Amino acid sequence: MDNLLYLKSVLDAHPELQYEISERAWSTDFLRFYHSQTNYNISKDNLSLSAVVYKGKKSFNFNLDNATPEKIDAAVRDALAVIDKLPEDPDFVDLENDLTLAAPRPLKNNIKAIPLALKTRILANVSAAAMMYDFDIFGTFVCNYQKYRLINSNGLDKSSATSPIYLEVKAVHNKSQITVLETFGGEDFDYFDDQDFTERLVQKIKYCANPVIDAEPGHYDVILAPRCLAEYTSYLTYGMSARALDQHSSFFEGKVGQKVFPEHITIVDDPSDPEMIRADYGSDGHIYRFLPLIEQGVFRNFLCNNYFSHKTGQPKNGNTASCLKIAPGAKTLDELFAGVKKGLYISSLHYMNFINPRETSLTGLTRDGTFLIEDGKITKVVNSLRFTERIDRILNNVAELENRCYTIPYSGNYESFDVETVKAPHALVRDFNVTSSTHTI
Amino acid sequence: MEQLIKQTLSKLALPEVTFADVRITRTDNEGIYFQNGFLRGYGSSMDALAIGIRVLINGCWGFAGSHDLSAASLERLVKTAVENARQGGNFTKTKVEFPALPATQATYHHQPEADPFALPKEEKTAYLQKLAQALKPAGKIVHSMVSAQFMRQEKYYANSEGTFSHTSYYNTLPVMEVIAAEGSQIQSRTWPGHMSAGRGGFELFKKQKFDENTDRILKEATDLLSAPTIAEERADIIIGSGHLALQLHESVGHATEADRIFGMEISYAGKTFIKPAMIGTFQYGSPLVNIFSDSTDPAGLGFHPVDDEGVPGKKVDIIKDGILVNQQTSRQIAHLLGLKPSSNMKASYADDFPLVRMTNFCLAPGSGTLDELIKDTGKGYLFDFTKTWSIDDNRNNFQFTTEIGYKIEDGKITGIVKEPTYFGITKDFWNACDRVCGPEEWGYHSTFHCGKGEPGQIMQLSHGVSPARFKNINVSVKI
Repeated sequence: MDNLLYLKSVLDAHPELQYEISERAWSTDFLRFYHSQTNYNISKDNLSLSAVVYKGKKSFNFNLDNATPEKIDAAVRDALAVIDKLPEDPDFVDLENDLTLAAPRPLKNNIKAIPLALKTRILANVSAAAMMYDFDIFGTFVCNYQKYRLINSNGLDKSSATSPIYLEVKAVHNKSQITVLETFGGEDFDYFDDQDFTERLVQKIKYCANPVIDAEPGHYDVILAPRCLAEYTSYLTYGMSARALDQHSSFFEGKVGQKVFPEHITIVDDPSDPEMIRADYGSDGHIYRFLPLIEQGVFRNFLCNNYFSHKTGQPKNGNTASCLKIAPGAKTLDELFAGVKKGLYISSLHYMNFINPRETSLTGLTRDGTFLIEDGKITKVVNSLRFTERIDRILNNVAELENRCYTIPYSGNYESFDVETVKAPHALVRDFNVTSSTHTI
Repeated sequence: MEQLIKQTLSKLALPEVTFADVRITRTDNEGIYFQNGFLRGYGSSMDALAIGIRVLINGCWGFAGSHDLSAASLERLVKTAVENARQGGNFTKTKVEFPALPATQATYHHQPEADPFALPKEEKTAYLQKLAQALKPAGKIVHSMVSAQFMRQEKYYANSEGTFSHTSYYNTLPVMEVIAAEGSQIQSRTWPGHMSAGRGGFELFKKQKFDENTDRILKEATDLLSAPTIAEERADIIIGSGHLALQLHESVGHATEADRIFGMEISYAGKTFIKPAMIGTFQYGSPLVNIFSDSTDPAGLGFHPVDDEGVPGKKVDIIKDGILVNQQTSRQIAHLLGLKPSSNMKASYADDFPLVRMTNFCLAPGSGTLDELIKDTGKGYLFDFTKTWSIDDNRNNFQFTTEIGYKIEDGKITGIVKEPTYFGITKDFWNACDRVCGPEEWGYHSTFHCGKGEPGQIMQLSHGVSPARFKNINVSVKI
């Protein structure tokens, strides 16, 4: 019997208990490169078992790495010894009871499908193209594989697997240090086009031949690259969570059904797009379905799990904004540029942090390619800039959206290097508040 | 474990392996979290083992890590680490140079005053519940939390040069927070602030005066709702220790991690504005600014007798009398810079690749108390308790917002301001430092959550600081 089922059998012997238990097997092959060469190659794996045990409204949770029946017995003994002595959580009502299973889908283990030799071959090609312009490449080429199974005492038993690919290439000019970025992310490497990837990177490299200037603080018309629009939107979803609503720190409190953004802003959480990294279930096992968040400017739904549904009264959906898509607009990218007399093109953002999440105010910086636009054309490279803005103001100032979307991968910062993707178009934003210059590239 | 690590190392004694090291960690974690007066989570992760194997072959690093220490797993990891290094060698231009070091043997075992893993769970929850009850939402207070994280880690390190160390320690992260709301306004106050961790156990709750400060944070969070913002464009500011620790961390600590000079962190954490030629000449701060990296002090979380590549712990001046004089380095990077390695290579767990990391990164004390410094300030503000932080990827342009600012007029605190926000350029800011308080105000402020590297790691580290004053700082950003 495997460890998860053994744990289940041990807990099932105590009918007074409820439980949610899970097992996760995770592995990564992680190539990190710098100056167009390998920095290090890492292979990592772990197998962990987690349990939350409830007795009435009291609970205790534990985590075991490489569990054995002896470790499981000891952990359950410890939990039972302490659980009666702990205070209650009056807001706990019940565990997830949605037993809907996700449709099966084919999935490759990309660690095996994309071996290290192939990764280095691809990088050598990209590096050769960048080197023609005296740029070196830096970044990461990662494949993960994770299998996850979640069981609870309401009869829920769900398994899922993911195998994200994350390729991030920063091309850095050997003298000026000007940097541009290209990425690929998803679960299906058939969507990766080596030549197209390299051409897009080289196109950005060519912008860097322009002189470097500082931009003064002030309000600018800007074209946000899809990565930037995606990142602002991801930050915005903090306030769409029922947890934030419960903490009175949500911008969207009291705004369900209200128009909060212009009509051309539509944001959904869509787990079914094959170009993206998909999701089968939410964290407590609820089926992950398409969920409209902003529909033609109107706020529709909080992201709400079982616990916070009981606590806040919001409808349960189990979504976690893991598969965000921002709907495209009607203009080509050239037409967006043509709409800017003097402004900025912002490629990427860095180190954002909320100042006041309820107001969506935050500060952060531009990175990896900020450019001056004059008369609809990129004419200069601009040192990285600091902005202090409100996301709701940025979205309310979106004048136009591009007519196509790009899949943008983001990596988690910590430990298991989770990767998610967002689909977004370029956006033309008026009156963007630049508050200082870094004076450095 | 000593036998296991040495056996694993012996399997790496291959002609092509020019250096190898093996680490094993055994980690216990426990976390308790109260929300709005009620227990929301109590969890533990005990006896979590991890192993990491690093090899240098033909001038390229290979690494393999796992939580599985079975014989079959170790065989697989040895092969994988070697294969990763060999394969990496197919995409290299320059070979890693790694000067040899003499072998070191070290043992260190720390015991806290109140071992959190030995205390009964109900005793710990009863104490935290009392705090949580005192902070229960009422009136304009709409949310509160009290939490504690306890960690105990035992580490074994061995390398192919004959170095072996066996260490263990306890770290604790206690914190409490309240949120006040009125209309569209929310304001928060925490205690004891952003860097509240420390070396030790349950005694930290008493040492950091949690009981004595519940009323203070309730009142200040509520008062902030109706407090004004700063009107001035520029001001003299005193920065309290808790927040100054983060200012030091972001604008000096990360900036002087020398792996950034060579672009090793460009893809995630970023670069640094520092160039090798600046070492020994660059006026980083005023002559009052003395900053050092010290992995020899066991009172800080950054203490180690030997780092994670066999360099004995060291105290190294980074900024001396305002001049940049050294860097935080690894053996590989110190060699590139012509420096001696500073003992700053660390990994969070054994299955993480070691990186250049801060250890105990400190601003040396000056003189005088905080009260004396306030009395010496005709007009200005005291900022403390970090709310928002942000710095560019060259560690040059920063902007911070603290939870509260205390207005100073004629040497006295006369009121509070909400969301005080200041920004600056690193060099200009540290050169504007005109006072650093003395040893009586100096202490460690520590974090569990310094993120760096890919795959990401979070490091536990400390900053020794005392409050300091900075003249004519830009406080003009209005939200």
